[in-house]
Amino acid sequence: MRRYVTDRVVSSFFVLISVLGINFVIINLAPGNPATIMGAETGLISQDYIQYLTQKWGLDKPVYERLAVYLWNVFHGDLGISYRYAEPVSRLIFERIPLTLAITVPSIVIGFLVGTLLATLACRKPGGGLDVGLTTVAMGSYSAPIFWVAILLINAFSVRLKLLPPTGLVSPQLIGSNGFDYYLDMAKHAILPIVTLTLGTFPPYYRLTKSVILEQLSEDYVVTLKAMGLPGFRVLYKHVLRNALLPGITLFGIQMGFAFAGAALVENVFAWPGIGRLMLDAIMARDYNLLMGIFLFVTLAVVVANIVVDLVYGYLDPRIRRG
Amino acid sequence: MRSLSIGGYIPTILILASTLLGALLASNTPIVAYAVNPILRQNPSLGSITCPARGGTLTVIYWGDIKSWNPDSQVDDALNGIAPNLFSRLVALDYNYNVIPDLAYNWTVNSNATEFTFYLRKNVTWHDGYPFTCRDVKWTFEAIKKYHGIAYSNLKMDNLVDVECLDNYTVRFVYNVSFPAFLGFLAWYGTWILPEHIFNNTQYKDWMDPSIPALQHPIGTGPFEFSQYVRGTYVVLTAYDNYFLGRPCIDKLVYQIIPDATSAEQTFLSGTGDILGNTPPPSDIPQLNSTPGVIVKTMPTLSRYYIGFNMLEPIFQNRDFRLAIAMSINRTEINLKAYNGYAFPATTAWLPGMSFWWNPNATYPPYDPDKARQLLDQLGYKVGPDGYRTFPNGTTINLRLLIFQGATSEGIATVLKDELSRVGLKVTIEEYEIATWETKVVKQRDFDIALCDGFHGPDPHNMYLRYSSYAYINFANYSDPEFDSLVAKAATVADPNVRRQLYFQAEEIFARDLVYIPLLDLPAFFIYRAGWHNMPWDLIGTAPIGCYAWAWYGTAPTTTTTTTSSSTTSTPASSTTTPAQTTSATTTTTTTTSTQTTSTPPLLGAQALLIAGVVAVVVVAAVGFYLARRGRK
Repeated sequence: MRRYVTDRVVSSFFVLISVLGINFVIINLAPGNPATIMGAETGLISQDYIQYLTQKWGLDKPVYERLAVYLWNVFHGDLGISYRYAEPVSRLIFERIPLTLAITVPSIVIGFLVGTLLATLACRKPGGGLDVGLTTVAMGSYSAPIFWVAILLINAFSVRLKLLPPTGLVSPQLIGSNGFDYYLDMAKHAILPIVTLTLGTFPPYYRLTKSVILEQLSEDYVVTLKAMGLPGFRVLYKHVLRNALLPGITLFGIQMGFAFAGAALVENVFAWPGIGRLMLDAIMARDYNLLMGIFLFVTLAVVVANIVVDLVYGYLDPRIRRG
Repeated sequence: MRSLSIGGYIPTILILASTLLGALLASNTPIVAYAVNPILRQNPSLGSITCPARGGTLTVIYWGDIKSWNPDSQVDDALNGIAPNLFSRLVALDYNYNVIPDLAYNWTVNSNATEFTFYLRKNVTWHDGYPFTCRDVKWTFEAIKKYHGIAYSNLKMDNLVDVECLDNYTVRFVYNVSFPAFLGFLAWYGTWILPEHIFNNTQYKDWMDPSIPALQHPIGTGPFEFSQYVRGTYVVLTAYDNYFLGRPCIDKLVYQIIPDATSAEQTFLSGTGDILGNTPPPSDIPQLNSTPGVIVKTMPTLSRYYIGFNMLEPIFQNRDFRLAIAMSINRTEINLKAYNGYAFPATTAWLPGMSFWWNPNATYPPYDPDKARQLLDQLGYKVGPDGYRTFPNGTTINLRLLIFQGATSEGIATVLKDELSRVGLKVTIEEYEIATWETKVVKQRDFDIALCDGFHGPDPHNMYLRYSSYAYINFANYSDPEFDSLVAKAATVADPNVRRQLYFQAEEIFARDLVYIPLLDLPAFFIYRAGWHNMPWDLIGTAPIGCYAWAWYGTAPTTTTTTTSSSTTSTPASSTTTPAQTTSATTTTTTTTSTQTTSTPPLLGAQALLIAGVVAVVVVAAVGFYLARRGRK
């Protein structure tokens, strides 16, 4: 077991390094650089201002030289200074993490629960009306463009029904206060983003769990249990579901890794200040340092999540543990 | 015309005066634009804030996040919109782009425009209570020079010899060249006065050193002081009691940052926010205008959409080809289809909004597709079998039109493509985000036609900065020695009337050469809730752009709240419009768009989406059920 873990950690390290290198090159291949973009913003691009910024940020040096300097700094725990915000990248990322997780984690958890539950319900009578209906809904909600769904939800629940606040983190009236009301208001603001994200997270669990359950239903042990006279729902919930949960848990772990990447489109529509929006802004501004920092952080989260998933999987499935 | 009897006579005089100024500009009397009403220049107390009602919060739904709290160090349009409430400049611009007093209540310029003397207000304090003096001004401009602030090249820092403090409240800028555009640029971008007593400390490596406290908690001399900022979310400012023009009427000013224009609009419609500062697409304006309790005003700006031809390509080097394209462009159609008729067809070389510098005779050829076709035939570009014109060797002419992302650019490009196809020219639209556009168009000149939009103010010197062969952004490679020498010379001539003649000539050459073709002069939209008064766009001559110190909420004390303007909204006419239409628009302070509701309002974006969504769901469900049923049989 220990050997397994060390192997995974070592290989993850190399994954990280190569991801960093590839990202650095790709970002630098994109047309434009932070200096020209900043120069372009006023509408009057001045050549000497662009030159000044290019030199100030060392962008006139060749890519490999900058990559070497960057990697060296990263190994020393320095992610650099954001060009756009003129602040340390690590601070910019860490102040956004809690807010991003506040919407992504609930949506994944709810998606997992709802998806699995609906799959079990649908499998009580495969091919029945409920099954067809749920599959259609899941398919529709998975394939609908998420930013469009978001706008529809805002229009329905905020503009028309006036039940929920539309966008932002808190209502303007509560800005500055710090009590229970403030956090309650923040929670209300999180509802629509979470619902929007959940509409995208539950269908994979639904499809995955459903297919595994259907497969299991024809297994010998199910036939045996049924022949023993156990009621259908007990077979389904107590025995089949337990086996059918495994792939769902793998997916859950991987999604949890990506939870740290935020949800750029949804955060943008709901004006939710998460990692995804930071990343969008960084891409638009070609803020190399900030972008690299976010990529590094997200890669790290996904790699760690994968390791954790493997370990948990081993724990849940004795065959893997022993093998 | 709004008269505020309770607020005393001062605002009335101001508004009267600004109307007078407007009238003068309208009749094109040669007074110097960008010099203000003389009343304002002599009495430092003019423009003081009077409040018929006090208290409350003004919430602005804002489009973007700031980059830092140093307003002079880098290009930061988001901070630049908030800054007028927090910081002050020596002089500012109002919504008609006049130079108006801010920290300096008066100024003088020597006869050859090399020395500028500003008389500073004496009752100004920083938000930490420290008195403001000439030292702050001197330090700020020396810092802009030393740390290469964003105003560095606009203010010709290389030619700035000295910033002298004649006494604590008089400052003189000395240049070694004539620089008549100085005042305009001083009032425009990156010239906010910073507190010397905080920044000037040897322990800081420069003015962006993260350990400077004013970069976390900004200190200014503006009407509001900093209260709270959550990155990407909101900025909260509170009224500063000792503001030099009097305490603002409202207690709190909140900027709520919503980057997505559609959700910003939905948020505003749901009842949140007082000002929709994130401008929605023009197609949504009629709907917003007819929403109860929402006021929509429009005003001409100094921004315009224009196209430029790649002069490095042989086909464009023939003026007749450019003329043919110019004559196939129907600006009225572009305005109607891409801008819902709210913009102004740009038919002259310079913007009518800068009336003093605007030569009404420097016009572009009118829409005439028959003539265009005839010209193209003469050039030997015959129509091929697919309906598109070809080179003499038989290959189809395919013009690549490069635009940058945005619903409006897309709309304009699509109409343009259609119009050119009507004379047989094939156009392919390529849409890029701004950085890629800049690389392809400005750096690599890898395009045929490029669509661009930009601010053409605050001074006609912009002609030099944007279109001369010295200009970096002159992507079309426009190079006319006569034009170049005229705009270069005009930049150094102090006498406004002589300067004006030079620009008039330059504009005529510019229009004749047809390398750049203007399409639309753009309006600004002000969308806010009824009940708010004394918004900055209502206070021409008094309030700097974006400054809400005078704003108050409540019922107007007098009933006459209708605006003076009448015929100014660009009623979309079928014919190509005359410059006169746009001129009249510049004369008025603000214009309501209520006259436009006669045209059928298009579906609000979200409603169209809603219908599309319902249809999509129904179709998917139907197909799903059908397949499932068939599968079971």
